[in-house]
Amino acid sequence: MIKTQGLTRRFGDLVAVNDLNLEVEKGEIFGFLGPNGAGKTTTIRMLAALIAPSSGEATIAGLHLGRENRAIREHVGVLTETPGLYKRLSAIDNLLFFAKLYGVPEPRKQAERYLQLFELWDRRDDLAGSFSKGMRQKLAIARAMLHEPQVLFLDEPTASLDPEAAKVVRNLIETLRSEERTIFLCTHNLDEADRLCDRVALFNTRLVAVGGPQELKERLYGRRTVIHLADPHPGLEDALKLSFIKKIERVDNTLIVSLSDPEEENPILVKRLVELGAKVQFVNELRVSLEDLYLDLMEEDHAPN
Amino acid sequence: MHRINVILLKEWRESLRNKMILFGAIFLPLFMVGAAVVMVYQGRGIDVPGAQIALFNMALMYFLILPAVIPLAIAAYSIIGEKEQGSLEPLLATPISDLELFLGKALASVIPALILTWGSFGLFLGVSIPLVGGIPPHVLTPPWIAAIFGLAPLLSLFSVGVTMLVSSRATDARAAYQVSSLAILPGIVPLIVYSSRKTLVSLFLVGLEGAVLIVASIIVLYFAIKVFRREQILTRWK
Repeated sequence: MIKTQGLTRRFGDLVAVNDLNLEVEKGEIFGFLGPNGAGKTTTIRMLAALIAPSSGEATIAGLHLGRENRAIREHVGVLTETPGLYKRLSAIDNLLFFAKLYGVPEPRKQAERYLQLFELWDRRDDLAGSFSKGMRQKLAIARAMLHEPQVLFLDEPTASLDPEAAKVVRNLIETLRSEERTIFLCTHNLDEADRLCDRVALFNTRLVAVGGPQELKERLYGRRTVIHLADPHPGLEDALKLSFIKKIERVDNTLIVSLSDPEEENPILVKRLVELGAKVQFVNELRVSLEDLYLDLMEEDHAPN
Repeated sequence: MHRINVILLKEWRESLRNKMILFGAIFLPLFMVGAAVVMVYQGRGIDVPGAQIALFNMALMYFLILPAVIPLAIAAYSIIGEKEQGSLEPLLATPISDLELFLGKALASVIPALILTWGSFGLFLGVSIPLVGGIPPHVLTPPWIAAIFGLAPLLSLFSVGVTMLVSSRATDARAAYQVSSLAILPGIVPLIVYSSRKTLVSLFLVGLEGAVLIVASIIVLYFAIKVFRREQILTRWK
C-alpha cells in the first residue's frame, strides 16, 4: 500500500529524511517511531503529497508520488499533529466543509455517520472551539476519515490527551484495523505502538530498524528466562553445563538465562536446576518493553562509529 | 469551481462570527456614507465655481477607499486565522489545488468588499440626491461610473494581493492588517490627489489610475500566488 525507495528530503544543508526504503502492507498498522526532529512529520508530509521529496520515489495506494499527487490526496487521510479545527465553526460545519472538499457524495449523511461513531452527535452544533482536547482530537480523526481513505496517516493521535480520551482513540484505531485500512502511526507513546502496531520502524533521519515489535525485541535481546531461587546457591551457573544456554547472568538470587527455544528448553533447565539442589521459586519470561528496545537502538544509532 | 465555492462559503461563515471583521464591514461603509452625505449637504449653498464638483469628487474618493480597506481585515484574518488554528495543513491535505485555495480566499475578500462599496455608494446617492435637490452637473457621468465600477475591483484585488503577501510572513492578524494598510497607500494616494482638485473626473484620469492598478495588481498577485503553494506554506511560512 505504501512503498518508498530512497526517499530523501533536504532543507538546504539539512537532511530531514535520508534514503528511506519502506513497504507497508494493506490493512497493516505501521508504527513510525523516532525522537523529536527525526523527520517523522516530514515523511508523512511527503507521503501525503504535501511536500515533494528531494530525491527518491514512492507509491501510495498504487499512485506515484509527484505524478499523481491530487489523486494521492484523494486516497489518504491525514491527522496532523494539532487537530487544526475551525474554532468558529460548529462540529458538523467543520466536517461538512472537508466532506465537500473531498467530494464526498452525501456529505451530510457521512458527517452524521462519523459524529455518531465518535459520540459527538449531541454536540454537533457546538463550536469546535468549545470542545475539550479529547473531543477535538476525535473530531479531527473523523475529519481525516470522512472520505473513507485507504491509507490513514496519524501523527501523534493521543498526544496531550487524558488517559480516558487516549483509550477511546486507541480503541478506534483497533476498529480501523478490522476495516482493512492501512494506518501509518507516528507516536512517542511506545506502549501504544507496542500494543497497536503490527510492525514498527525506528527512525532517526534514516531507518534504524524495522519489524514486528516482538520480532525486533527477539532480534536484539533474544529470549530470556528469569529464574528466582530461594537461596543464592553459589557456583550454580558453572555447574549447569547445558549446551543450549547462550548466556547466563546472575543478580542476587535471580538467574537470567538467554535461550533460543524456551518452550522446549525451560523444562530441561528447571529439571537440571532441581537436580543440582536449587530451590526454584518462580520461572518467568523476561519481557522487554518497546521502550527499552527503542532507547537501546537509538543510543546505538547515536554512538560514534 | 466547486471547491472555490466551498472555500468561499466557509470563509464567509467564519467572517460572520468574527466581531472585528463584522465591525469593519458594517461600521466603515456606514461611516463613509454618513460623512459623504453631510459633506455634500453642507456644500449645497456654496456659490464658488467648481465647489460642488470638488465635494462630489471627494465623496467618490470615500467610496474608492472602501474596496481597498474592507478586504484587508477579511484576508488578514482568513490567513492568520488558519495559521493560529493550525488548520492550513489539514486543508492542504485535501485534493484542493493551490490556485483554487488562493482564489477561494481572494474572492472571499473581494466579493463582500465590492458589494459593500457599491451598496453604500447607492445608499449615498439615494440619500444625498434628494437632499441637494437633484444630481449636480458632471456627477454620475461615464468617467464616474467607470471609476466606481472599474477602479473598485482593481483596488480590491491589489489590496487582497498585498494582504496575502504580508500575511504569509506575519503571525498576528492585527500586525498584518496594519502593515497591509500601509502597503495599499500607494494605490489610494492618486485618488486623494485627484479628489482634491476641482477638475472633472475624466476618463483619461480613471484610465491612468486603472492602468497603474492593473500593473501593480498583476505584480502583487503574481508574488502572492507564488507564496501560496503547498510547499511554501508548509516549509517557509511563519
